[in-house]
Amino acid sequence: MTHEKIREMIGDWLDGELDAPARAAVSAHLDACPACDAEAARLRRLGPALFRAPVRPDPRSTEAFVSRVMARVEADSVSAWERFAARVLAPALGLALAGLVFAIAMPDPDEDAPLGVAAVSADAGSAFEVAP
Amino acid sequence: MTQTGDAELARSAAAGDGDAFAELVRRHAPRVRALCAATLGGPGEAEDAAQEAFLKAHRALPRFSGEASFATWLHRIAVNHCLDVLRAAGRRRSDSLDALLEADSEALGRALSEASPAKALEDQDAVERLLSRLPPEQRLALTLRELEGLTYEEIAASMSCSLDSVKARIRRARADLAGMARHFPGADIV
Ligand SMILES: [Zn+2]
Repeated sequence: MTHEKIREMIGDWLDGELDAPARAAVSAHLDACPACDAEAARLRRLGPALFRAPVRPDPRSTEAFVSRVMARVEADSVSAWERFAARVLAPALGLALAGLVFAIAMPDPDEDAPLGVAAVSADAGSAFEVAP
Repeated sequence: MTQTGDAELARSAAAGDGDAFAELVRRHAPRVRALCAATLGGPGEAEDAAQEAFLKAHRALPRFSGEASFATWLHRIAVNHCLDVLRAAGRRRSDSLDALLEADSEALGRALSEASPAKALEDQDAVERLLSRLPPEQRLALTLRELEGLTYEEIAASMSCSLDSVKARIRRARADLAGMARHFPGADIV
């Protein structure tokens, strides 16, 4: 195999991702070719140079993290509920209220409307207009 | 006493049990935090991203089918979130990075050519600057390989991409980094 082909395979070789024949071919080439072997050595150092093994976290730090996440989850649930309330419940409630007021305000032909209903019906009219 | 399994905790959490979700966070926080720290550099941003990953997972709980393990499912959410953050950061990336390219590349060049056993660069900021030059997908793939030791197949599952993409991303990432280090031959002299 050419040096170029081998160089392309060095990463997979380092990661243990080659099948047995390919792995053997790369290993044999590296044993015989100092230039490619030096390149393999450089790439092998790349990981440790840039990625430190994660430090085992202090359990207190984990607990503090859990608390912060749970606080955000709670705030998120509250705001989700508020969004739901604003989008669905408030208009529904407004509509129901307006309907109720409208029904009360409708003059019953058999009965004199009680005093005060007229005032409510005036309010209901304006409330109905501003309702979303 | 046996521990309640993740899948059962996830079902309880989806039904509104906050303690169950807190236990899932407790179990999986170390891995998610380490991933965010390695991919997002600065501790403040990484911690925030790790919290947001769990928040996204909490919102998505009703869609957790239990087909994959909870750990795999959560890992995929965390990986995607890191990609989102990196893509957003890339858009506002400044040229101030380039002023330090020479010094950073020299430091990496020395680390790659020393005869002594491989060790991490001392300067964590330099590490962050070097890695931030990689496209987000390449950076994530390399991190999952080098930090977590995942196989290409596991990386493909976490990044929801093909095995060939994983190979290409990791190869490209290594070639770019090694290329930066080589750019400054003074650093290459052993
Ligand atoms: Zn060769």
